[in-house]
Amino acid sequence: MTLRLWPYFFRQTLINIINNRTVHAIGLGTMIASLLIFGTFLILFVNLNAWLQGWEHSLSMSVYLQDEISESKRGKIASFIKDQPAAEIERFISKEEALRDLRSALGSQTGLLEGLSDNPLPASFEVVFRAEDSEIDLQRIKKEIENIEGVEEVQYTEDWLERFEGLMKIVRLVGFIIGGLLCIGVLFIVTNTIKLTIYSRRDEIEILKLVGATDWFVKIPFLLEGMVQGILSGILALLTLFSGYILLSTKKMHFLSLAVLDLVFLPHEYVLSILLISVALGLVGSLIAVGRFFDV
Amino acid sequence: MIQLFRLSKKFGPNIALSDMSLRVRKGEFVFVTGPSGAGKTTLLRLIFGAEKPASGYILINGINLNRISRSKLDLLRRKIGFIFQDFKLLPKKTVFENVALALEVTGERRTFVKKKTHQTLSLVGLAEKEKAYPLQLSGGEQQRVAIARAIVKDPLILLADEPTGNLDPDLTKDIMVLFRSIHIKGTTVVVATHSRELLEDTAQRVVFLNRGRIAGEK
Repeated sequence: MTLRLWPYFFRQTLINIINNRTVHAIGLGTMIASLLIFGTFLILFVNLNAWLQGWEHSLSMSVYLQDEISESKRGKIASFIKDQPAAEIERFISKEEALRDLRSALGSQTGLLEGLSDNPLPASFEVVFRAEDSEIDLQRIKKEIENIEGVEEVQYTEDWLERFEGLMKIVRLVGFIIGGLLCIGVLFIVTNTIKLTIYSRRDEIEILKLVGATDWFVKIPFLLEGMVQGILSGILALLTLFSGYILLSTKKMHFLSLAVLDLVFLPHEYVLSILLISVALGLVGSLIAVGRFFDV
Repeated sequence: MIQLFRLSKKFGPNIALSDMSLRVRKGEFVFVTGPSGAGKTTLLRLIFGAEKPASGYILINGINLNRISRSKLDLLRRKIGFIFQDFKLLPKKTVFENVALALEVTGERRTFVKKKTHQTLSLVGLAEKEKAYPLQLSGGEQQRVAIARAIVKDPLILLADEPTGNLDPDLTKDIMVLFRSIHIKGTTVVVATHSRELLEDTAQRVVFLNRGRIAGEK
């Protein structure tokens, strides 16, 4: 295939798209919608992952105290914590402070707490471990602290991390399933769009073959058409996602009404992957469409 | 140039060609005639590689069409000009684009394609109608566009299926003059026709077909 033919192919691709603009517009819209669903899911996944990783890097522990604990017992617990490697008591939260914190976190939903006759929240020490290495055996420290008199319960980030990692596994699996199904859907859309444009040009294809055009000469503009549809839908879906991200990230996102979530957009490699997947789907879809119809 | 050996072709129960052998030499001008259904169009389509024979074989310039690959058939078709009975012009393309198409598929330079298309359209007397669309032309003009598309690539063989079928006697004469001028340049020409007027005064070879067989020659 000589390079001289490529201007013809590009011209022909453009003409095909213009002549079948309605079919292309419908196909493009559906593809964008599919990629938007997939992209939104990816953003959700990326953000949860980033959140989880941020959590993993800040090891912390909450030591909940029994109610009516004496001052000396509390002091004992505090000094035991301080003796642990890299441990630092960030804050002591009294029962009253715990309730106050909960009230401010609930914001407008603070009415939920009105029925309480007494304060059910325990006092606690918020402990952080400043060490960079992850060699600190939080499990051992947890057990030792729990054995001290006056300690009700000890929770540390790993407890939550384990739960969330389980959730992330499910999210990942669901992502793969949704992604796979959407890919099949997109492939179906591209294949049918290109089939329709082939159908609209069947007379021309017949004549091209009769004047000596090779199969590839006829096929290449259709393959380019599929790729153009793929790349356009990829770009437009990403632009829409980015606009949505800009709009949402200017507002503070509250996650589970408690924590403030800073949204991050898709990393470069994900953006590139979406574009490559769109082009590949466009190409494969059109390859399927042009598979067999050249028996002239 | 064209050799057919014991060629047969069926369409369902209908026999289109039966045990036909024919030889057309390089540079020869041959009329193939006979009543409707005699097998004229089938014969041309077999020579062009658009149909496959049920038995027998076809040699074009020494190439056996039974054994030719699809890609080689595409290349062979670039050396054969075919004028279809129904013209097969693309209504959404201009006269110029319809003719240029035959050169574009060969990957010729754009400047050459333009020059050669202009020359050929001038030869068939349609230089002024380059920008017109086929449906804006008369039947005779459309026929000449189809001829221009067939000859623009300087084919070794020109096959014409009822090229004057829809034309009045004056236009028929013009078209035949055009074919003779192409033939004089060395192109082998095979014209399928059932027009008696066309054959009355001809000095060219005429092959008569009837029910898929050669019924005679003149």
